Amino acid sequence: MAEKPRIKVAKEAKKGEVIEIKTLLAHPMESGLRKDDAGALVPRKIINRFTCEFNGTLAFSCELEPAIAANPYFQFTVRVEESGTFRFTWIDDDGTAITADESITVS
Amino acid sequence: MRAAALAATLVAVIAAGLGVCPSRIWAQSAAPVPLATDGDASARPWHRYHEWPQRDSVKFNTLATLASPPPPTAPRKLAGPIAGDPALGAKLAADRTRGGSCLACHVMGPAGGADLPGNVGPDLSEIGNARLDDETLFNFIHDARVYNPDTLMPPWGTHAIFNDEEIGHLVAFLKTLKAPAQFKSELDDPAKRPPPVEKRDNLDSMLNPAMWAVDDKAPALWTEAGPNGAACASCHRDVPQAFKTWAATMPRWEPRLGKVLGIEEFVTRHARATTGHAWPIESAENGALAVYLRFLANGSTIVVDNESAPAKAAYERGEALAQRKVGQLNFACVDCHGAGRGAGKWIRGQWLGQIRGALDHYPTWRTSLQATWDVRKRFQWCQVAVWANELPPDAKEYGDLELYLAAQSNGLKLNVPGIRH
Repeated sequence: MAEKPRIKVAKEAKKGEVIEIKTLLAHPMESGLRKDDAGALVPRKIINRFTCEFNGTLAFSCELEPAIAANPYFQFTVRVEESGTFRFTWIDDDGTAITADESITVS
Repeated sequence: MRAAALAATLVAVIAAGLGVCPSRIWAQSAAPVPLATDGDASARPWHRYHEWPQRDSVKFNTLATLASPPPPTAPRKLAGPIAGDPALGAKLAADRTRGGSCLACHVMGPAGGADLPGNVGPDLSEIGNARLDDETLFNFIHDARVYNPDTLMPPWGTHAIFNDEEIGHLVAFLKTLKAPAQFKSELDDPAKRPPPVEKRDNLDSMLNPAMWAVDDKAPALWTEAGPNGAACASCHRDVPQAFKTWAATMPRWEPRLGKVLGIEEFVTRHARATTGHAWPIESAENGALAVYLRFLANGSTIVVDNESAPAKAAYERGEALAQRKVGQLNFACVDCHGAGRGAGKWIRGQWLGQIRGALDHYPTWRTSLQATWDVRKRFQWCQVAVWANELPPDAKEYGDLELYLAAQSNGLKLNVPGIRH
């Protein structure tokens, strides 16, 4: 069973404020370079892209590579000008997308 | 305390009134907690974790059996001077497949590039100036117990890690060591290298994935009905209050089992007797509950009973086990972690902690492995690391050892789950 992503983001902020966002996703980040007991390569299966959209506009994104350790953790800052919803998306090599939403009230 | 006990009794009476639990469980504190005393609490036969080294060390001591060859009674006599090759010796001294290499414990001048040597053993950088004869050097490596019965040095020859010819190359190499080590930085010098300090907030689940057991996994298991139709929550209400101190009193002697019972084995046997869940030690469910139950007692002072008669006997057995030399490398717990021995020193780049405080943060998150380890798995790894066969996690010897080690932390406060390398 997949773990739910863990996200830390303020529920409220002032207009124009720079806020910090932290996300953590449980994922093995299988590099594709390891061998199993029989000596065969374990196929690569990593999160290859992470995005954070705010009200439909891309706010932050990055590409991930096989050398990145299990359970990828991101910490970044965004400036918020209006109330709305963050959508976080993790794209797996197998094509699945893990998403989570967090809303914020800006005054 | 009295109010808490009263509240717990009240909860139990209410639960019993609902007809979910046998009334004897908590209505009287004197009534023993239900435990399945039959069968084992972990897999039999025990198979080592597949990602661990699979070396079989059956010819050497474990915590349960004595098998190691006896030490020689006198130094070996050599027919003449040793004709070894110093270059081959240098290679062997740095060979990490032979018990971690000499540099794991000794500074050896420029050998190995003076790259992160340890300091459990003496600095050998200038041993070549000591004018020791070949026979003495040979015997120190072959089995140093002929000179010092309390030595920490593995008996490389007696335990067949190096053969006579290889020891000859090592002797030739040692005789070439005549200049102090030049370290590239203070980090390379074990005498100056600062001990690691863990400062992260171990109860922040963004930093410590072992906390996920507390956030999600254990609470979900708590309300999950087992084959008998009951869940943990059927009997245990007001959980934070009811378990505020319990974990800080574990492990404890259990007369019905005739062994020391740790929290992990308690979870297995209590669930088997009540809800019917199969939660063997080292299963994901057992691990999550073991973290959670200790987390609930965080901040409580560790007060393990090592004074009542059977507990005292178990403690003394545990103390003896902590001093037993095990494995092909022939190390006892106290060799690495005892004050005045290895504690506070370095094996290569790994710092050896002391015994007091070693258990107060278990189960702990291992950042190097991205996994939560309970204390029994830690015991197992210590043994595999010294080339000894491990025991099943519910072995009675581990119970005695856990009681001894936990009692060394009496007076400290529980802080689970920890974060360690």
